Amino acid sequence: MPTAPTFPPRIASRTALTWLLLCVGVAVADEPLGLADGWKMSALGGARFSIRGTGDRNNPLRRQLREPFQGAELFVQFRFQYAAAGLDEPSEGEGAGEFFVLWMDAVDGGDQASHHGGVPNVGIHVADGKNRLMVRYLASEQQFSNVEVVGDREYQVVVRLAKSQPADDHAFDRLAMWVDPLPHQLASPAAEATSKRGVTTIRWLGFATGKKTEKTDTIHVSDVRVATTWREILGLPSTVSPDPLQAPPAPPPVVRTIDFTTHVYPILKDHCLACHAGADAESGVRLDALDEVLNQVAPRDAKASHLISLVRSQDERQQMPPPGADRTPLSSEQIETLETWIDEGLAWDERLLPTPIPRTDHWAFQPIARPQVPVVKNSAWVRTPVDAFVARQHQRTGVTPAPLAPVNTLSRRLALDITGLPLDQSRRLPEMIDAEEPPDSEDAGGPSVGDSPTDKIHEHADALVEQLLGSVAYGERWGRHWLDLARWAESNGYQHNRSRPHAWRYRDYVVRSFQQDKPFDRFVLEQLAGDELPYADEHLIATGFLAAARYSGNELDHEIQRNDILVDVVNTTGQALLGITLECAQCHTHKFDPLSIRDYYRLQAFFTPGQPGNVVLQRETADTHEFIESRWQMFDAVHARLAASRRAKGYPEPVLVIPKSVFGAMKGAERAMFQRLEDEIARMPQAWGWTASANSPSGVAVAPHEMRWPLPRLRPGQAPPKTYLRIRGDVKSVGPEVQPGWPAVFGETPNQLDKPRTALARWITTAENPLTARVWVNRLWQWHFGTGLVETSGDFGTQGASPSHPELLDWLACELIESGWSTKHVQRLILRSNTFRQASTFSPENHALDPDNKTLWRWQPRRLEAEAIRDQMLAVAGLLDATSGGPSVPQSQTPSSQRRSIYLRQERDRLPESMTAFDSPAAVASCSRRRVSTVSLQPLYLLNSPFMQTVAAALAKRVRDVATSSTEQVVATFEITLSRMPDPDELARATQFLNDNSLDAFCLVMINLNEFLYTN
Amino acid sequence: MDRRTFLQHSGFGAGAMALQSLLRAEDGHGTLTHFTPTADRVIFLFMSGGPSQVDTFDPKPDLQRFSGEDVPESIAQTVPQIKRAGLKNLMASPWSFQRYGESGLEVSELLPETARHVDDLCVIRSMQHRNPVHGPGECVAFTGTGAGNRPSIGAWSLYGLGSANQSLPAFITMNVHTDGMQYPQAAGWGAGFLPSRFQGTEVDPRVGVRHVAMPQNTRHEDRRSQLELIEWLNRRHLASVGEHSELEARIRSYETAFRMQAAAPELFDLSDETQATRDLYGLDTAPTKVAGRTCLLARRMVQRGVRFVQARIGGWDAHGNIRANHTRMAGISDRPIAALLSDLKQQGLFESTLVVWGGEFGRTPTMEGRGNGRDHSPAGYSVWLAGGGVKGGQVIGQTDSLGYVATHRPVSPHDFHATILHALGLDANRLTYRHHGREEVPTVFGGSAVKEVFS
Repeated sequence: MPTAPTFPPRIASRTALTWLLLCVGVAVADEPLGLADGWKMSALGGARFSIRGTGDRNNPLRRQLREPFQGAELFVQFRFQYAAAGLDEPSEGEGAGEFFVLWMDAVDGGDQASHHGGVPNVGIHVADGKNRLMVRYLASEQQFSNVEVVGDREYQVVVRLAKSQPADDHAFDRLAMWVDPLPHQLASPAAEATSKRGVTTIRWLGFATGKKTEKTDTIHVSDVRVATTWREILGLPSTVSPDPLQAPPAPPPVVRTIDFTTHVYPILKDHCLACHAGADAESGVRLDALDEVLNQVAPRDAKASHLISLVRSQDERQQMPPPGADRTPLSSEQIETLETWIDEGLAWDERLLPTPIPRTDHWAFQPIARPQVPVVKNSAWVRTPVDAFVARQHQRTGVTPAPLAPVNTLSRRLALDITGLPLDQSRRLPEMIDAEEPPDSEDAGGPSVGDSPTDKIHEHADALVEQLLGSVAYGERWGRHWLDLARWAESNGYQHNRSRPHAWRYRDYVVRSFQQDKPFDRFVLEQLAGDELPYADEHLIATGFLAAARYSGNELDHEIQRNDILVDVVNTTGQALLGITLECAQCHTHKFDPLSIRDYYRLQAFFTPGQPGNVVLQRETADTHEFIESRWQMFDAVHARLAASRRAKGYPEPVLVIPKSVFGAMKGAERAMFQRLEDEIARMPQAWGWTASANSPSGVAVAPHEMRWPLPRLRPGQAPPKTYLRIRGDVKSVGPEVQPGWPAVFGETPNQLDKPRTALARWITTAENPLTARVWVNRLWQWHFGTGLVETSGDFGTQGASPSHPELLDWLACELIESGWSTKHVQRLILRSNTFRQASTFSPENHALDPDNKTLWRWQPRRLEAEAIRDQMLAVAGLLDATSGGPSVPQSQTPSSQRRSIYLRQERDRLPESMTAFDSPAAVASCSRRRVSTVSLQPLYLLNSPFMQTVAAALAKRVRDVATSSTEQVVATFEITLSRMPDPDELARATQFLNDNSLDAFCLVMINLNEFLYTN
Repeated sequence: MDRRTFLQHSGFGAGAMALQSLLRAEDGHGTLTHFTPTADRVIFLFMSGGPSQVDTFDPKPDLQRFSGEDVPESIAQTVPQIKRAGLKNLMASPWSFQRYGESGLEVSELLPETARHVDDLCVIRSMQHRNPVHGPGECVAFTGTGAGNRPSIGAWSLYGLGSANQSLPAFITMNVHTDGMQYPQAAGWGAGFLPSRFQGTEVDPRVGVRHVAMPQNTRHEDRRSQLELIEWLNRRHLASVGEHSELEARIRSYETAFRMQAAAPELFDLSDETQATRDLYGLDTAPTKVAGRTCLLARRMVQRGVRFVQARIGGWDAHGNIRANHTRMAGISDRPIAALLSDLKQQGLFESTLVVWGGEFGRTPTMEGRGNGRDHSPAGYSVWLAGGGVKGGQVIGQTDSLGYVATHRPVSPHDFHATILHALGLDANRLTYRHHGREEVPTVFGGSAVKEVFS
């Protein structure tokens, strides 16, 4: 038999369009080009052959190859579907079960299916009482797969027939089969068998039925193809290597002809440094520090440099050095030296002119020392040491603290403060409701055990604090505070603002962390470096803190795109964890705080190797990487094909191809396969997190996040991008390279950090770091009292406010650290204090001494946050759905949702109206403190919105269920909404109102009241 | 009239009432201007997506001549090194330019209606910034930087001048034709670090201010008695708490809301407009319907003392087939905008209202790909100003011979904002707000008013 050595490729090419079978009965001429009258079948599918059983051996459908095939590997694909009506199970009795195979042979075997034994075949046989797909040469050379055939389901079967030695006269001794294969599964067939004999040439293939295939059986066959490669048979585009990550271009190397010390320094010293050196340099321009010189030049571009324009200037008002009797302008030789120095990249001598290390004596940057708890006159008032510090300030100012709040006021305050929900009516203790009268303030307090009403109230409140701190609702409220700092959202922001469907896992992580009182240092570590820690889903999810940065999907310039993200991450980290505003240092050394532009980019360097993405959880799940890799291979291949075709059409460079066009350019089989991969990937559990390229040990798979211009994918093993100082914050002005490091004012950073972000997190939460603990306890204080001990809770720098109680702040910080960074420990100290439990009683005397209540002489009533307003509405109306966690409520369902507000989808620029109306943060930048605005759109919402009508009606129904008379209804409504009884005037006025108006109208009034919207 | 009497007697349909004393809480920085204003209010017509300068207000005959060629090296080297700045295949404008009016200022035949007002327009042809992406670019256009965290020019204006109508929001934004991916950037009407009362109120021109309508089953008398009870209970609460300015402000906000319930529907009810006016704006014809209503509402708003009106008309992003895109966008907006200018004149509001027009950037003079469209380009683009002290019929600044890069009198968005504030009598460098220990100004990276704009 003549066999051309080039046979397999010829098959591949010639059969590309007509590799189809003929129906039985169509005469086939035995000529090399063959099959002129065969059908063309669309690769999209559609045409199907129907095969009926005959109850006996039959070859119902068979076709000859264009040429006999003797190559090394032959792939055959077909799809089939067995009509359920005819499919009988082997278990149904003797002779039951089915038989249907594809065979491959040198001869066609005639209608009687007379093939030799040992002919390779693939299909349905009975095994273990099941109809299974299997491969077979002989009964002794066969393997069954796990795939049981069920009726009316289409199977895609791919068969590979291969020779263990690629010689024409060697047999096809290896047979493998895949069912519904995916691109990466070549190495894992569903079944495979080997044979000692086998056929050496394939000329025919066809389908056989047998005795078990009854006349009532129908089998549909379609999409039969042959090919010589795995990729071709699956319709995969040929692979290409994707574009490498666009790292910021490193400055080109230069040969330095100028030596700083010998050539440049003398010029600077003689002509410039007299004025332009040191912290008080003339006009703030320093030439004695490299980072400052950078501000006066364009990188490697003397012609465009400000410095050169000044020394070359002929204008007396501009010229440098300024013309004068004792000064001479630079010689043209000196100017040329400076120009060459700039063009060659500013050589510098760090020993001669070291980069100044910022120093400061600002309080917040000094070490924390544990203060003594003061001894105060009003010692009876001291319940926790917090009170001692507060009482001392009272004493100094001359104010008298307000009495203990009435029990119901206090209970409501505690519930709203700790959980953001009103106290469940059922949890109120009956005997407490009677204790309306505030106890005399002189009796108020003292930790001594006793039976006074005051003791009872405290006892009740202490128990309540424990109960509430242990609730799920606590995590939901305090987790939301953290989300403000993390500028967390479920969309990318910017113009396209694509959704982040997996971002909710971070929200649940935060809620869980608060609920479990996760040590704050651990909480920080997980969020900054979760992907560097030993693998755990929880750790990966935690990196959602970094990943919450905005991400422009419409930014073609990846350098800008990346830099915007890194800037966001650095600013948020500085603000949320350290309480410092780093934004200024992005462009220039901070004018007020000891932070240089170099510090800024050193901090950025911790994050440069990473980027946000959909990290795939449950690493142990098989195939994750393979699915994603296959998906990208297909994508890249079609992308390359489309780019090439556009290039050929004369598109100018760079030829741009957006993902949408790639999807559109996929061919039928490609698209089907691509969609299958997309579906598989979509089923994987994912979180919106942060991963780094080379140095991440976690081996995390990242699922695609589709955008017009997504960031280039990180690839294993690639060198991490470097970090450069960006002169004046301009991405395109690349300065010197910098290594990861924390601000120099805090001391040296070790070289060669193995896990850089772990090191950063450990430094942030080391007991020696003066900021982190102070900042965190101050935030806790702020969320409990409305104002922090340091009012500017996001700015502990020199421009921030001074602490009102500096020793209390430090004492709480020490308590935080020494308790093992327990947030709840600090909260207990606060919540059990008399300071927290004061009434809001006004005092003109105190007011005269301290009008802003800085010394905390009373409880300062303050408006609830947007979430608490809405949640409280739902709760009092009995509508609240307290389901905790999980994917967010979709936007379309938000108006009618009755879940807690934290679970409403947080899409940037499309936040729920019920949130934005009451000052929820925009989730664009870290928010340390929410504003309280008072605008008339709020009453319009509270009076007229459909949500409020629903709440009022539900509340009215709830009241009606427990009260019938007007008086009873008024009392009940007061109880439910304000946790108190109406006084006689209120009762009279409200009852009169009810006589003329509906209960719904009255309920709407009650849920509009300041008293209802405020903690009192 | 005391507050109680007001509640009892004003009722609904009373319209806007000047009860300024009640409303200090919603006032701004004060009404002390730095110098004599030439305008009391602003209408910002924002053409989102980026109209092409060389097809609207910046004629470039060289584009015709060199169509199909590459940008010559002399110009190419001045083009900022940003992605998108295509340097190949110059594309001639599909439209010719004509001289209009006494000034003879050239305008593309694309905008024949606007061109009729050319003697009132001051066209700046040398706008320039560096951000070629819609989202950040839009933030640049409204806030000066791309980050989206600074106050919008409307918020600064309001902070500087306060409100002039206590029954309507003082800063209103309308976003229309926002289909496709042209999401409005909320920073464009945001307050940034300014108190949120200076934030713009987003209004759908078809719906009006949200929640002004009372629920159907609520009668006016019911609402009045509800408000009385709310106030009575709130005052008792306030008395128990003592001094608390925020609680007092909340009590007042219910009074304002009550007035807004009347004033806002009246604003959006166009039934008192004549058919001639409706025709002028094209309210009853398909392409101009939405923008027409928006522009007419803008006039009604400024008429009622709204300080800053923003109308964002999206869809100018002509990456492919600019002829079709800009024809459609001009069809949507040209007539309503011209109508607004005419109408402001008729109503005697033109001289005291500053009207500005422009997008977040312009477009490249080159073709993008092969699609007969143009890509984004912030290197040199055109905007115009009219009314409110503006010297019309003049051109400020210039781009190169291809319309790519501003070459003479470049104007940054910060300069543009300073110019708007200047018309309102405010000096951008002296309008300060203390935030994070810094005296923040609207022009954070520097910027000064383009004083040539004004006569």
